Amino acid sequence: MNGFPFSAESGEIQLLEMIEWQVYHSSFVDEEGITKACGCPLLPLKSKKKGPAPVLEQGKTDIIDEAITFFRANVFFRNFDIKNPADKLLIYLTYHINLSLKRLEGCRTLAEGTKAVINLGSENVTIPGEPGFPFTALFHPPQSQNEAELLRDYLKHIREETSGRLLSVAYRPNGTPNKWWLAFAKRKFMNLPLN
Amino acid sequence: MDPTSRPTVVIDNGTGYSKMGFAGNVEPCFIQPTVVALNDSYLNQTRASSNMANQYSAGVMADLDFFIGDDALLRSRASNTYTLSHPINHGQVEDWDAMERYWQHCIFAYLRCDPEDHYFLLTESPLTAPENREYMGEIMFETFNVPGLYIGVNSVLALAAGCSTSKCDLTGVVVDVGEGATRVVPVAEGYVIGSCIKSIPIAGKDVTLFIQELMRERGEKMPPEDSFEAARKVKEMYCYTSSDIVKEFTKHDKEPAKYIKQWRGIRLKTGAPYTCDVGYERFLGPEVLFSPEIYTSDYITPLPALVDKCIQSAPIDTRRALYKNIVLSGGSTMFKDFHRRLQRDVKKIVDARVQAATALHGGDIKAKPVEVNVVSHPIQRFAVWFGGSVLASTPEFFAACHTKAEYEEHGASICRVNPVFKGMF
Repeated sequence: MNGFPFSAESGEIQLLEMIEWQVYHSSFVDEEGITKACGCPLLPLKSKKKGPAPVLEQGKTDIIDEAITFFRANVFFRNFDIKNPADKLLIYLTYHINLSLKRLEGCRTLAEGTKAVINLGSENVTIPGEPGFPFTALFHPPQSQNEAELLRDYLKHIREETSGRLLSVAYRPNGTPNKWWLAFAKRKFMNLPLN
Repeated sequence: MDPTSRPTVVIDNGTGYSKMGFAGNVEPCFIQPTVVALNDSYLNQTRASSNMANQYSAGVMADLDFFIGDDALLRSRASNTYTLSHPINHGQVEDWDAMERYWQHCIFAYLRCDPEDHYFLLTESPLTAPENREYMGEIMFETFNVPGLYIGVNSVLALAAGCSTSKCDLTGVVVDVGEGATRVVPVAEGYVIGSCIKSIPIAGKDVTLFIQELMRERGEKMPPEDSFEAARKVKEMYCYTSSDIVKEFTKHDKEPAKYIKQWRGIRLKTGAPYTCDVGYERFLGPEVLFSPEIYTSDYITPLPALVDKCIQSAPIDTRRALYKNIVLSGGSTMFKDFHRRLQRDVKKIVDARVQAATALHGGDIKAKPVEVNVVSHPIQRFAVWFGGSVLASTPEFFAACHTKAEYEEHGASICRVNPVFKGMF
């Protein structure tokens, strides 16, 4: 209840009526030792690839696991209240998962899906301040070239990791698509265009 | 024969469904959709085209050529000569001709009783104009020649449904989730507190539409013309209320065999059978009432918040009594564990408020905790009808009715006032 509501339709933060928000929030509330770029906390990931993110031991839940678990519930909501900076990253990841699912829509096998996801990963990653970044109100533009590059690398890393983990839930062990996940490709998180 | 020795006819007309039967029974004899299928073709014939015999028979037959309820829906789908009309919208009767026809079929075709031999109990929404009661009275006394009529407010009857011989509480909040609209109505001592009535545009039909949308998005093989009916049956058979959506999703993923059900239907047009999987819409459907923004962006207040807002706007001395007796009524409250979820959510809001109040006083004065109780019973679906049945079985009922003699003496205006009688105390 101490966060303020954020709605993508307006593009700016409005003070909507303080009712009990039903969205799921991130549990990474502790900001000690987390570097920030453009207001986005660079949370640790359980990733095997090299990247700017700090490493988290296997066996623990990281922000990507949270985003995937909460995705099917959060995708229905159009209003979000942000309780801590990790929620901003959660929103960004939820949008990315929505985008990835849309790309996976026509892919009938795991191999095709992997190809689509690699294509998505090779596209340019936009950062706040550049046109095409979906959440202009969430983050502030970078103050230095270093900050911009740091964020860009982090976002690229986290996007690849998320898409990879998404494939493991969106496809069954035998390689066929899992309709209980792929149905959400038709949903539009926050009514944002998925191109 | 003396009408007071025969059971009263109780008819509860709602926007979606009408429940009709005799007082003293536990459940209504018939539950039919409130819809009339009229044959309009007679009206469009010009004088020149048809000969005298045709015109005469058209005039006589046109009045009788209509269907109501499930028959009406079937006929209108089968042929184009019948047009459907819904006489009741948002709880108010808008088409009195159609309503009269509806009652005609109810009495003569379904209940098959002679209206001159029975007293009648009809229902209306709170906040209806008194003229509507006059029209009802006029139709009943003039057209059907009933000996006596009582028009009850549906929320008060829903509260009366919870009455037993030991305790009868006509103070409480009625949460009526029907097909067309949802209303939260506070009632104190049998009188509706009109200024505090709150209504939500989301009801049973919207839950069905949401389920239909989810199944279609997933690509389930449902024939498009039957998809609404199929979604409705899926809703009635498989939906349940969850406590937490994310946990439910995880449960469904872990044990698909236990949670994913199969729906088998038959396509009306061709007669070919089809099967669909039913998965997460089982708990997302009822969730629409608790988080309306997942379904529409026009309306976002959840039902528990609205119940709380309604009680807070009621007079301060009634509030504790209202929280203690929140009664559910209407078909869309039949989801499993609906009452528990509503109670939990309302209690959360109420406890937060009590805590805030205590904190404001620095912890010196401890506010007495407010007891929240959501009452649920097996006849929720037609709680209003059952309340009418209970009320009409008491001996005081006949004294509270308007009789034909009074109507002839004073006119239709007597129907404007229907006394609340405490016959069960």
